[in-house]
Amino acid sequence: MSSSVPSELTTVAEEAGAPVGAPTPARRVIATLRSSPPVLLSVAFIVLVVLLAILAPLITAISGWGPCTFDKSAVDSDLGGVPIGPLGGISAEHWFGVEPGNGRDIFARIAFGAQVSLSIAVSATIVTTVLGVVLGMLAGFYGGWVDQVVSRVMDFLMAFPSLIFMIALLSALPAGNRPVLLVVVLSLFGWPYTARVVRGQAMSLRTSEFVESARASGAGGIRIVFREILPNLRGTIIVLATLAVPGYIGTEAGLSFLGVGVTPPTPSWGQMIATAVGWYAVDPMYFLIPGTFLFLTVLSFTVLGDRLRKALDSGDAAS
Amino acid sequence: MKQRFSIPALAAAAVLLLAGCTSAGSGSGGDGPSVTPVKGGTVQVLLNADFSHLDPVQGFDGGVNNFYRLIYRTLTTQSTGEGAKGTEMVPDLATDLGTVSDDGLQWTFTLKDDLQFEDGSPITSADVKFGVERSFDPAIAVGSPYARLTIAGTDGYQGPYITGDLPSIQTPDDQTIVFTLKEPFADFASVVGQNSFTPFPADTERVTTTSLDKMPIASGPYKVDSYERGSQLELVRNDAWDPKTDDVRKAYPDGFDFTFGLDASTIDERMIAGQGDDANAIAGSVQAASISRIQTPALKARTVAGLQGCTTYLGLNTTKPNMDNPLVRQAIAYAIDRESVKDASGGSQLADIATTMLPPTVAGHTDFDLYPSKDNAGDPEKAKELLAEAGLPDGFSFTLDIRSQPKMQAQAEAVQQALAKAGITVNFNLIDTSTYYEVIGTTSQQNDAAITGWCPDWASGSTFLPPLFDGSQIFPKGNSNIAQLNDPAVNERIAEIRAMTDADEANAAWGALDEQIQKLVPTVPLLFEKTVMVVGANVAGAYSHAGYSGGIDYVSVGLSSADK
Repeated sequence: MSSSVPSELTTVAEEAGAPVGAPTPARRVIATLRSSPPVLLSVAFIVLVVLLAILAPLITAISGWGPCTFDKSAVDSDLGGVPIGPLGGISAEHWFGVEPGNGRDIFARIAFGAQVSLSIAVSATIVTTVLGVVLGMLAGFYGGWVDQVVSRVMDFLMAFPSLIFMIALLSALPAGNRPVLLVVVLSLFGWPYTARVVRGQAMSLRTSEFVESARASGAGGIRIVFREILPNLRGTIIVLATLAVPGYIGTEAGLSFLGVGVTPPTPSWGQMIATAVGWYAVDPMYFLIPGTFLFLTVLSFTVLGDRLRKALDSGDAAS
Repeated sequence: MKQRFSIPALAAAAVLLLAGCTSAGSGSGGDGPSVTPVKGGTVQVLLNADFSHLDPVQGFDGGVNNFYRLIYRTLTTQSTGEGAKGTEMVPDLATDLGTVSDDGLQWTFTLKDDLQFEDGSPITSADVKFGVERSFDPAIAVGSPYARLTIAGTDGYQGPYITGDLPSIQTPDDQTIVFTLKEPFADFASVVGQNSFTPFPADTERVTTTSLDKMPIASGPYKVDSYERGSQLELVRNDAWDPKTDDVRKAYPDGFDFTFGLDASTIDERMIAGQGDDANAIAGSVQAASISRIQTPALKARTVAGLQGCTTYLGLNTTKPNMDNPLVRQAIAYAIDRESVKDASGGSQLADIATTMLPPTVAGHTDFDLYPSKDNAGDPEKAKELLAEAGLPDGFSFTLDIRSQPKMQAQAEAVQQALAKAGITVNFNLIDTSTYYEVIGTTSQQNDAAITGWCPDWASGSTFLPPLFDGSQIFPKGNSNIAQLNDPAVNERIAEIRAMTDADEANAAWGALDEQIQKLVPTVPLLFEKTVMVVGANVAGAYSHAGYSGGIDYVSVGLSSADK
């Protein structure tokens, strides 16, 4: 293939076409990212939260307080259940203080809350990416009635007031397995955003030379879609997925805040923030700690996704 | 049957406060809520939710019942004062608590002289009769059920607009009214104090099924000046009300301004700050988060508190597998950590621990604790033994219906934690706030257990134990016997006590029955919740009325200075 099409896609296509080709662009992107302090900080925080989530049972075993264990001695029953001690009861015993009223350890709830938040957000991202990429590629590549059907469904879902519908749907559905329900509902409304971008790219790739040549050599439609077009979309998909994660973390927290997220006593950052609202004057730390974690996690993923896109884009221009 | 939990449910807003225990504060600013008010001024009332109805045959919860006393009068009413003194029945429109015939079926009341509606027309016995008849109209028969439950010949009766006259209520002259009952009802003097016994001009053109909700016709010391549903209600003096005919209502202020739709935290902030007109304000119970902020001497002097007079309890559905075993229910009763349930509900200032179903404000309340544990913290070991005895050595799991409301979730989490220690796994079925009572009151939909509450309609066990435990009162819908307890001995005893004509004897019997029922553990009493209210610095005469879910008694409150 010649370099007559100076696009990122061609570059990636060349790379894909060469079985033993060194992933030079990937290396270059990584190098660019490594030289950016915001990205390093973001990645460091994401790693920290992921470790916190994965090791939550281990860490809370060390601290001695599980996410649902009450500690009556840490709250003052005569003062409405306010935590005893400064800064919301922060002590060697309770590293981030305790919840008012029941004395549950906030550190343990943050760690297990990270587990819930991340697993829901990552699952929803995987589902929407798979759905969005497959449907987007099919719509873009085949065009015609396939495109019509997929595009109208996307228009319909994107025009929907999704947050309101999610609240209605989650309150109406039987409790069941809430995390799974959340993933389903988030995915239902999330995939068109990926699919729309992928469709546009697939449409432009459909007429490219390597697709023509693959077709000329007798490859079938499905084979072309998955063997020729998909590899060329890798960069786009990685960026879309990275940017989708913080969106889902935020939405999950929002739904939990509104009382339709995971069922108590499962810890969730959104729920902690919702309960903390009434206590802001007396126990601001109860609000600040989950708020900070939520903010930094969303920020880190957004910064990472943003820089990743920039690096990939500038890479195209440079090559 | 009475509303369960009107108060906690409505974010405590519909209710006012109680007074009482905490006026110890010295020093600071105002004279405190316990001084005698002066005549005049306007009391501001800050509320979260509007009253359910201005039509008294429709409204029926602690908050609105309290409000009705400002504009309406009934044949009898509750007295004023803290604790049991306030829940005593006293004559209101009637000259006395009624005369009963020898067979116990005919109750005669005589109206006082010089009673008038707000337009100056006299209140006659026919008007009282008309008011009662209205409460049978199917379109509005959602309030107090006691007229329907007690008065004879009401099968198929559909009120004055559809059926017409109700012959079992006779009015031989303008001041005499005679009720004929289905069967003797010793507490009928309390029944005629219910909202549905409010008089209205006997004119089906002027008073329709919907007119009163828009513009009430006052018989009490105040009348509605303006009303904007959901935001504002202004009361001014009703000059046609003669204080000489009324021993209960002090009616100190010249008016009341109710503001609705305020956020609970906003109300707390405004009451704590007490700026401007808020110095003349009263409000419902503060939130748990505000308790620690009102501990300064200045705010303590402005705090009134009291029991709501209701019981928060865990109902165990005795028809479900495992729950049908008394040993399992006993294990749950032993394992519950009431101390942590109390802390989850706002700590010692907002709740007392309950080990009996009858709250202490109900006559006949007897103290007992059949399933004791150290510091009320639960006894998981004892619970495990009982479970092993019941053939469940590895514990079991059940589903608890809870209302998706922060406080009730916190209570449910406390129950879950305590039972986990005994090897019992509690799964939550979260139900939307608006449909919660409907779901748990539908026998086909309720799960193994539910956390709910009950308030007596008047301070007697007769409005508490029968609706919750009488086997003949299990209904497929609108059921209040959440435990679905149908125990022949209990049913029989309820019938016996109901037939008693001596009130003291009956009260004592209700107290003993409470203990008899708790031996079967159909429910686990958790808490007697309290209201803690901050009032403005200029508010006087504020106390918590146990008959109105612990709200501040509107008819006794006033200002210490009328021109502030």
